[in-house]
Amino acid sequence: MSETELNGLSLTKLQELVAVVSKEPEAAAPLNKWNARVKWEGGFKSKAYVREHSFLLDEPSNLAGVNTAPNSVEYLLSSLGGCYVVGFVLNATKKGVKIDDAEVVLEGQLDNIPTFFGLSDKGHPGFREVKAKLYARTKADKKVVEEIWKETVAGSPVSNSLSRVVLIVPELSVTR
Amino acid sequence: MVEEAFQTSVVGSWPRPEWLLDELRRKNDGEITYDEFSEKADEAVLLAAKYQEDAGLDFITDGEQRRDSFYSFVVDKLDGIKLMTMAELMDYIKDKSRYEQMLRARDVPAYAIRTPVVVNRITKKRSLALDELQFLRKHTRKKIKVTLPGPYMLTRASWIEPLSMKGYDSREALGKEYARLLREEIIQLRDAGASFIQLDEPSLTEVVYGDASMQTFMCAVITSKVEPKEELAFATELINGAVQGITGVKTGLHVCRGNWSRKEETLLSGDYAPLVKYFQQMKVDQFVLEFATPRAGSLSVLEGLSSGGKELGLGAVNPRTDVVETPEQIASRVREAMKYFDPSHIYLNPDCGFATFAETPLNTPETAYRKLLAMTTASNDLRKSLDWGSPPRPVPQVTSQGRGMSEG
Repeated sequence: MSETELNGLSLTKLQELVAVVSKEPEAAAPLNKWNARVKWEGGFKSKAYVREHSFLLDEPSNLAGVNTAPNSVEYLLSSLGGCYVVGFVLNATKKGVKIDDAEVVLEGQLDNIPTFFGLSDKGHPGFREVKAKLYARTKADKKVVEEIWKETVAGSPVSNSLSRVVLIVPELSVTR
Repeated sequence: MVEEAFQTSVVGSWPRPEWLLDELRRKNDGEITYDEFSEKADEAVLLAAKYQEDAGLDFITDGEQRRDSFYSFVVDKLDGIKLMTMAELMDYIKDKSRYEQMLRARDVPAYAIRTPVVVNRITKKRSLALDELQFLRKHTRKKIKVTLPGPYMLTRASWIEPLSMKGYDSREALGKEYARLLREEIIQLRDAGASFIQLDEPSLTEVVYGDASMQTFMCAVITSKVEPKEELAFATELINGAVQGITGVKTGLHVCRGNWSRKEETLLSGDYAPLVKYFQQMKVDQFVLEFATPRAGSLSVLEGLSSGGKELGLGAVNPRTDVVETPEQIASRVREAMKYFDPSHIYLNPDCGFATFAETPLNTPETAYRKLLAMTTASNDLRKSLDWGSPPRPVPQVTSQGRGMSEG
């Protein structure tokens, strides 16, 4: 680990970003807007294009798909997990905490999937609850890690987007 | 001789002290070398040996104090093999959803499961267990048991085709390499004074019962489900390749159903019946088996094994419980075994190690010690009951600290 790098992040770049956003809040405006394009590929398959990236979406075979890729709700869970990872590493790095390993395990409970097929009018087809457990391996004090996790959940854009309608149950497991 | 009946030993591992785990993490993080770590582990080995001596065991081990698990430690000893996490290996695993379920059942992150993976031709950096034996030999007059991961277990765990093909053309070729290495090691250990060498092959039960429950994760056996008959024949060939024809040391094979959790429902269930036919073909002297847990089924399936002169290492205490079995309970289980085995062919041991994986010990040293003491008490009582005219060995005296004096 060099003096200008922690958790694989360049401290210089992070400091520059923070300096720019704090001095000129309008510089952060472009970061408030995100885009995606999703194109139908036949059957239940589709392809998403975001910036210079693309990825497939499909349904598993027991939902009449051909299982060539994750489906939308799985991407939603992964998106939440990815957001937590980014936030956790960012907050840890800001505090000078070295993270040896981190992994988020998520489990989402849809309220009532038959409503998606029009077979029920009870409840809704969206997530009722999402459990998200962060496993972290670090030599840092557990209280510090708990504080970082709390900040991560509170400050996560995806978590905030979901938590206003879905119950999110965050959990933390720290080992050395 | 009455002393030959109901001899006692452990399966291998003993809970490591917290300070040793700190040193182990430093070694795994590359902060200290294996040699530096091993020097620090000497004291923990002495402690583990003292507990076993005080309990009055006939055979003792070094408690596997220098190992982070019963099989992954080989990366410290061999070149061409490296420890990789499940997180690193997920991209190479075909049946990803099965492993995801297993990780969730165990409530562990993928980075916490580490397995040795062959990435090149294997060569020895140092002997697998000779350093462990030589240190313990200097500090005890007890007979010493040395445990080694079996050739099938090693092959199953470390063969990840896209990575391992760099060293070997096939899984079979790798298996034969392990058998050859282990054979060389067993001979070295025998010549250096080991009395009992045990090969650990827990994944044999996974071969026959792995599909019965998706909530299992058998010692990081990460290859896909296999055909049982072919696999068991392959395992038998490898084990025989390692031990056949070696004399002058007792050889054993330990087979359990997993020992990573106290949640019994997450471990495999099923008796040894599907394995007995293969046991009969294996050229080891003793089978070290679980029987303290009801998940292991009935002893009666072993009928016929003793006719070939095989010994039974009877699982007499459960390493995963707080409750200490009474000598009477243990003796009752032994009497059941006596229906199928001669007393001189019955050894007593716990079902498995007390800390198979360093970071997740299954019991405290205090409870483990009390379980061993119950086992040796049962052994002594049984020897007396045989009435062969010879005096039983001295019973360890329990001190106020709950520990006995060494009979060294």
